[in-house]
Amino acid sequence: MAANTVSSSLATRTSARATAGLIALLLGAFLVFGVGLANSAALHDAAHDTRHSYGFPCH
Amino acid sequence: MIVRFLLAALAAGLIAGLAMTPAQYIKIVPLILQAEAYEGGGSAAVSTHDHGAGTTEVAGHDHGAATPAGHAHANTDAAAPASAAPEAHSHDHGDGESVLGLGRLGNTVLANLAAGGGFGLMLAAAALLLDIRFGKGKQAVGRGLLLGAAGWFAVQLAPAWGLPPELPGFPEIDLQARQTWWMITVALSAAGIWLVALRPEWIAKSLGVVLIVAPHVYGAPQPADISSAVPAFLAAEYTVASLATTLGFWLLLGGLLGHFLSRVDEGASV
Repeated sequence: MAANTVSSSLATRTSARATAGLIALLLGAFLVFGVGLANSAALHDAAHDTRHSYGFPCH
Repeated sequence: MIVRFLLAALAAGLIAGLAMTPAQYIKIVPLILQAEAYEGGGSAAVSTHDHGAGTTEVAGHDHGAATPAGHAHANTDAAAPASAAPEAHSHDHGDGESVLGLGRLGNTVLANLAAGGGFGLMLAAAALLLDIRFGKGKQAVGRGLLLGAAGWFAVQLAPAWGLPPELPGFPEIDLQARQTWWMITVALSAAGIWLVALRPEWIAKSLGVVLIVAPHVYGAPQPADISSAVPAFLAAEYTVASLATTLGFWLLLGGLLGHFLSRVDEGASV
């Protein structure tokens, strides 16, 4: 019983890590793409100095 | 618990992103502003140089300080396009109008926060999905610093071997080709550094080295004409400033992330 609880809570924690990891990956990629790579004039102008600082391809 | 992981990542990213703005204003932004004076007008100066090679006007332009008074007029003419460039060239760099009506500084603060949050989330995603554990206390900060250094390697140093951080006015290469090469290189370098640093098998480590080297063997997109109106000294200073400043960003991000994520882990085990 005790072993069961431990293994199930371990499974929950592992799946929580995986779920959080996937959400973080999608959200992070969306933000990085918007700041660094999106081909929109408004975003380019606003993020101009940031894009250059991080060495994103620019112009 | 999922939300706490995400908040930990976001908090680390936002703090590091906030610190990035003052760090950029030490060296990076002044160099960008200096380079913008050569951008656009620079191309006119370069074409004069190319087509008028050997004429006295070009010589007067190059050695302005040493020319006799008689050349002064031609000298100012040649110099004019460069100084007028910031107003003349086609796109805006956030000086005037913007999406949210913020000035250039405000735009940069926001963009740095978004970039910091984005990189923080992606670095945390790598740690969570690859099941990297941070341990406790100082050990967590130390491992976080190493993770941040790996992020700097994959996102800054590795792509910079092929596409060095650009100043405005650098020789033009097709933007899409550069972005594609940049993304592929970052992805391969990240996978490569993971294999080299965290996989014990020698075959995995060798594969990691291959992944890191591959995009450079293939080659980054190159400009047809490497001449640029931006002085080489500024470009060299800029490359160092960009790599150094982003190293600070990634180390701060990694250290904070290690600390925060270890706290979430600890909280969960109680």
